[in-house]
Amino acid sequence: MANVAKKVSWSGRDRDDDEDGRAGETTPLLNGTGPGAAGSGRQLTPSSFLRIGQLSNVDLNEDIHELETELPRQRPNEIPHNEKLLSLKYESLDYDNSENQLFLEEERRINHAAFRTVEIKRWVICAMIGILTGLVACFIDIVVENLAGLKYRVVKDNIDKFTAKGGLSFSLLLWATLNASVVMVGSVIVAFIEPVAAGSGIPQIKCYLNGVKIPHVVRLKTLVIKVCGVILSVVGGLAVGKEGPMIHSGSVIAAGISQGRSTSLKRDFKIFEYFRRDTEKRDFVSAGAAAGVSAAFGAPVGGVLFSLEEGASFWNQFLTWRIFFASMISTFTLNSVLSVYHGNAWDLSSPGLINFGRFDSEKMGYTIQEIPIFIFMGVVGGILGALFNALNYWLTMFRIRYIHRPCLQVVEAMLVAAVTATVGFVMIYCSRDCQPIQGSSVAYPLQLFCADGEYNSMATAFFNTPEKSVVNLFHDPPGSYNPMTLGMFTLMYFFLACWTYGLTVSAGVFIPSLLIGAAWGRLFGISLSYLTKGSIWADPGKYALMGAAAQLGGIVRMTLSLTVIMMEATGNVTYGFPIMLVLMTAKIVGDYFVEGLYDMHIQLQSVPFLHWEAPVTSHSLTAREVMSTPVTCLRRIERVGTVVDILSDTSSNHNGFPVVESNPDTTQVAGLRGLILRSQLIVLLKHKVFVERANLNLVQRRLKLKDFRDAYPRFPPIQSIHVSQDERECMIDLSEFMNPSPYTVPQEASLPRVFKLFRALGLRHLVVVDNRNEVVGMVTRKDLARYRLGKEGLEELSLAQT
Amino acid sequence: LGLAPAAGPRRTPALELAQELAEELWSAGLPGDLPELEPECRSLLAAFAEGSAALTDCLGRRARPVRLCQGCRGQYSRLLAQYGSIARAVGNSTESHNCAKSILTSDRLQIVVTLSEFFNETWEAANCANCLKNNSEGLSNSTEEFLDLFNKSLTCFEHNLQGQAIDLSPNNYTEVCKNCNETYTKLNDLYNHLQRMNRQGGESAHSAHLCIDVEDAMNITRKLWSRTFNCSLPCSDTVPVIAVSSFILFLPIVFYLSSFLHSKQKKRILILPKRIQSNANLVNIQEKYS
Repeated sequence: MANVAKKVSWSGRDRDDDEDGRAGETTPLLNGTGPGAAGSGRQLTPSSFLRIGQLSNVDLNEDIHELETELPRQRPNEIPHNEKLLSLKYESLDYDNSENQLFLEEERRINHAAFRTVEIKRWVICAMIGILTGLVACFIDIVVENLAGLKYRVVKDNIDKFTAKGGLSFSLLLWATLNASVVMVGSVIVAFIEPVAAGSGIPQIKCYLNGVKIPHVVRLKTLVIKVCGVILSVVGGLAVGKEGPMIHSGSVIAAGISQGRSTSLKRDFKIFEYFRRDTEKRDFVSAGAAAGVSAAFGAPVGGVLFSLEEGASFWNQFLTWRIFFASMISTFTLNSVLSVYHGNAWDLSSPGLINFGRFDSEKMGYTIQEIPIFIFMGVVGGILGALFNALNYWLTMFRIRYIHRPCLQVVEAMLVAAVTATVGFVMIYCSRDCQPIQGSSVAYPLQLFCADGEYNSMATAFFNTPEKSVVNLFHDPPGSYNPMTLGMFTLMYFFLACWTYGLTVSAGVFIPSLLIGAAWGRLFGISLSYLTKGSIWADPGKYALMGAAAQLGGIVRMTLSLTVIMMEATGNVTYGFPIMLVLMTAKIVGDYFVEGLYDMHIQLQSVPFLHWEAPVTSHSLTAREVMSTPVTCLRRIERVGTVVDILSDTSSNHNGFPVVESNPDTTQVAGLRGLILRSQLIVLLKHKVFVERANLNLVQRRLKLKDFRDAYPRFPPIQSIHVSQDERECMIDLSEFMNPSPYTVPQEASLPRVFKLFRALGLRHLVVVDNRNEVVGMVTRKDLARYRLGKEGLEELSLAQT
Repeated sequence: LGLAPAAGPRRTPALELAQELAEELWSAGLPGDLPELEPECRSLLAAFAEGSAALTDCLGRRARPVRLCQGCRGQYSRLLAQYGSIARAVGNSTESHNCAKSILTSDRLQIVVTLSEFFNETWEAANCANCLKNNSEGLSNSTEEFLDLFNKSLTCFEHNLQGQAIDLSPNNYTEVCKNCNETYTKLNDLYNHLQRMNRQGGESAHSAHLCIDVEDAMNITRKLWSRTFNCSLPCSDTVPVIAVSSFILFLPIVFYLSSFLHSKQKKRILILPKRIQSNANLVNIQEKYS
């Protein structure tokens, strides 16, 4: 139940249309009001407009079933943004199939063989998802490699030149300006063209798979902006990675392909029309997310488990198998294309965007005695991760409240880019840690104040793309970094990464987390080998890996999928156990303080996200207390004017309407007959499926399910449908189109019961009926998501216009 | 038996060993004892033993300062040829009796194979192919040029040092720095150029290195130049760097403060939900559970 025709942004700021949504208040319930009356909304109190809405409901449609309620009389509440809100702008996806007569007819018409082709088409789509995701990953990788290489070469030449002559401050300026300008472009496209492409995209996909429709999240435009944005922010030298956004990219690709058309391009390829509904789309999006993980880390199994862990509530082994297929295809495509690009076409050596390299030498093994040490590292990771999240929480809150204008967001991103370069430069400048250049695989060795033939070791960490730095930290031989360098690097990068996440650029948090963890893990390993007088088992690379796992686990709090991803990225199954221990400890310790970064951001965006279970202490709440009431109902044969008025009532922007028996006698019981959706009503109005016209044989053909699918997923707003005065008097028969068997619960059902039904079936509307089958209320996602287990027990979130 | 040339005045232990081996083989080759080792094979094996001894000798002698590629390429290519002739050689009769089989694969240790692998790997690791001509005959032009320049700069160093007093305090190298700067810079540039060319030419990671002779020569010179003579003193302009960086670091503070003070705080408008008990709010729930 939310506004339909609104443009919404994820990133905390709104387009200036939040007044438009409530414009109808001043001129209630006349058709066609809307954006015209903008600007007048803020002064009206919510209670007054509720009253108007209700009075006019009574005026216009006598039969609307409603209960007497006391209307609250409170002053309007304008509060600063906080985490205990639910935004009205997010809608649910319909996972439930509407089994109306049209559906049954179509099913009768399609024979058995046709269903088999549908199944084959699913496989074809999954293969295409894999291939395209892999190709997008290749594109990102190659472009980033070349552009970043160009940038670092330019800066390096400049630094080399000025080291001899003096005037290094110019090199600093050059570096900072280059970074800031590249990031500016990346930030401008995100902030002004598609704000939903900001961030890593994992929270958004998580919400989508949970069943929340985040506007614009799976559009082609988003994909383009995302890909360009990632390239620019990595090239701009921010403390970000390109792995997280791959998941979003994969999902967009999946959603696009499975629909066989693009609304951004305004092209309809007339294929895969069968899949044009939320149920199918969501399945494919989970395949796309898996393909994205798989391309990012070369971890097909991890990708499947990611989809399983993070979202899809609806699993059967066929879907899992298809998702695995898409993942495998994706990593294979990336691998083969990159191998060809790197010139060794047949050796398939780069399965993911980031490759942790091989950990299989003798020294890299671990012994039982080391396991307590790993667990301790998990604890450290959990604490540092919680600190990261807490800092990022305050920062994000500040950003939502004060930095909501796009220009400010762009300026902020530029400043972060400039400061990142400056911090890097100052660290390199101050470092006196020189290492011999021979035999090392440093891509851009900076000599600076080192002797000839040596390079600055701090520069390997800062003067490089984060992916390369991670791999260096894992694999450089012991002694490549001195502890001071690592300590300073960890400290600085921690704050930079924390500051960077949440900017209006598209960028992921995986790699920075890994990098922080690898740095302190390596430091830990070095100090361990000091303590143990250089034992053979204290190889710093191994501890760098564990530190990376601990830090990442402490920040994102993923469990199963992250273990498998790390295992697959290292290509070493024996590390599975220590990595699992480390991640578990990090999660337990971290959860003690604050929740994971992604969940935190979902909450800060006021998304009605349904967790796995209802809050544990909520059994005494019943459906009666949870539900929204009164419910706007429609009669089975309804006057067109009434329908139009209800649909255009902006104050109660409902999406599903219970259909009750059309009894002329209002005093009699009007039992529930079905449920009809706003989208269906709009299609009906558009095609003018009125009883009178049918009687006059004006309707050329019967409406088919295809007509509904063609309008999916963006149904036109009611304002764009013209209904003349005469037509308003016609009647419309809903019985063919409504879902005749909507899920219902009795009023006495407890919240966990309702929650379970809602969550497990992926419902959007759950009708609450009394014992005479009369509609008393409606439970939607926001009614359930309101209840949350907070620090002091059960909390209730408030609804807010955002 | 071809052992004669090795019996020179400098008989190294390795050579002696090789000869012993050969003699043993000779004695073992008496009819009846080792009938399967043909005389041709015996001579091939002896030649290989001799060649490997010579190469080992050369490698050891030229380990420091590294002159492997310049000094030992003859021995190496000879050894390669000898190994090749063993591997290819076919005995007088059937294929089952060829030398390759009897020498290379008839025992567990396979010492000839191990030796030849060791030499090959060393040669690969030294990356000598990089500074030799394509047919391995002579150094490539760029290497010659580099070594020329290297010798020149060494001469320059020596020349300038001789001019000074014998006991040199660390600060007295200014003369060297001034006079040899040109040669050194040329050498350095040439080295960097070679490196860049090399990196562009070869794709695989292995050929990223220049050959060990060149690398080592450059290393020595650089160490002398910047460590011993302390010639490369980069200008450190700390003040401007601090100024610029503190300016940049200051900008975010200004930005956040100003947006905190001047930007209008985002307000959310609470919507009252439609419920039966509209007072069933947080307080109510809290009471229920406390």
